[in-house]
Amino acid sequence: MGPLYKYGWFDFAYSLQLAGLIGVLFGFLLERAGFGNARKLVAIFYLKDFAVLKVMFTAIVVCMLGLLFFSVFGWMDLSKIYLLPTYIWPQIVGGFVLGMGFVIGGYCPTTSVVSAVSGKLDGLIFVVGMILGSIVFAEFFPLIEQFYSSGSMGAVRLSDVLKINSGLIALLVCLMAVGAYWLVEKVENKLGDPETLPVGSRKAKAWAAAILVALGLVLAVVNPDRIAAKKTSAAVKEKPKIEAVRKAPPKPAEPASSGAVIIEDEGC
Amino acid sequence: MKTRYANPYVIGTLLGLVLLFTFYTMGRGLGSSASFARIATAGMHLVAPEHAAANKYYARYLVGGRSPLMAWLVFLTLGAGLGGLFSAFISNRVKGEVIRGPNIGVSARLWFALFGGILSGFAARLARGCTSGQALTGASELAFGSWVFMFCIFAGAYATAYFLRKEWL
Repeated sequence: MGPLYKYGWFDFAYSLQLAGLIGVLFGFLLERAGFGNARKLVAIFYLKDFAVLKVMFTAIVVCMLGLLFFSVFGWMDLSKIYLLPTYIWPQIVGGFVLGMGFVIGGYCPTTSVVSAVSGKLDGLIFVVGMILGSIVFAEFFPLIEQFYSSGSMGAVRLSDVLKINSGLIALLVCLMAVGAYWLVEKVENKLGDPETLPVGSRKAKAWAAAILVALGLVLAVVNPDRIAAKKTSAAVKEKPKIEAVRKAPPKPAEPASSGAVIIEDEGC
Repeated sequence: MKTRYANPYVIGTLLGLVLLFTFYTMGRGLGSSASFARIATAGMHLVAPEHAAANKYYARYLVGGRSPLMAWLVFLTLGAGLGGLFSAFISNRVKGEVIRGPNIGVSARLWFALFGGILSGFAARLARGCTSGQALTGASELAFGSWVFMFCIFAGAYATAYFLRKEWL
């Protein structure tokens, strides 16, 4: 059952190697999509090429469906995943300023790395700027600390705030993604450059859209929240039994890889 | 020269699977902006160790007696550089150049890149993450703040785009 690291399947040193591998895949995919090029990236803000939105929404939808289905199948314990806490005011302002930085500088943090390594001087300068920006933030931290922790809502999900179950949210996200794809392709066809826009068959797109919505529908019916709650209550009931068994035979020290150690994570 | 890059839906699907793999193995998502804060911390620690230790924000990266660079996200970012280089290399896209629109000079573009970078570095710290650490990761686990953050990125960018059309168009 995942997440593997939290159950002690491997140690910190190995997790760093894994980080390198995941990073290679991440950077490779970003460059494949053309995200090492600032003009390709900012074209979304001039309504000419929505690759940024398509890649982002697709990755979000695929991962979201994967997480929820893994949870339903009992392959992954979502409560062990580091959920980003919500601090609504700094997130609103930070998002807005990051968007401004995106258009002014031409990149967002990860894409600037990909750009810099492929020889783009503007990407390298952007990276230098980000390091300077981090220093500015740290130096002024005493002044902004109060704002930095304002609007704290804890680690809340959309389902907690909107008071509907995650399955239904997943369906809505799928519908929103498909709607967004349809809309931006209309705009692209009007304003974009047909020589650089991706080619793809209508049939494949229609099928993919139908599959997305169908998977969302399944989740909306299954309701992953209820299943997760059921599992937790079952685990609580089982717990005394396990403890009783553990107490009986005084075992020698268990091997470290027995898969039951929960490692705390430092988050971002 | 015009380049047609890979299909964004295919890349998005693969990226979603990489993100899912990250969650499954590590219990956390992707990210990169904290690496730059860590590099900044390491630099400050080298130049002025007392100043760095006295600052509350640097101090959070200096705990545990480890170098601030021995961190998961730093290795992820290094990997991203390698992967990006490999992809650019196999498509002959490794080339020293400055990406800019036809109506802006090189030095002006570089000043914009620097200023945009400073804004982004600052904003990513304020929001506790960037496009990947907050928007991508948080949105896929349906975190409320991350969805708000993502729409604010688009709002900020679209609000600014008109004034910078000389830089890109």
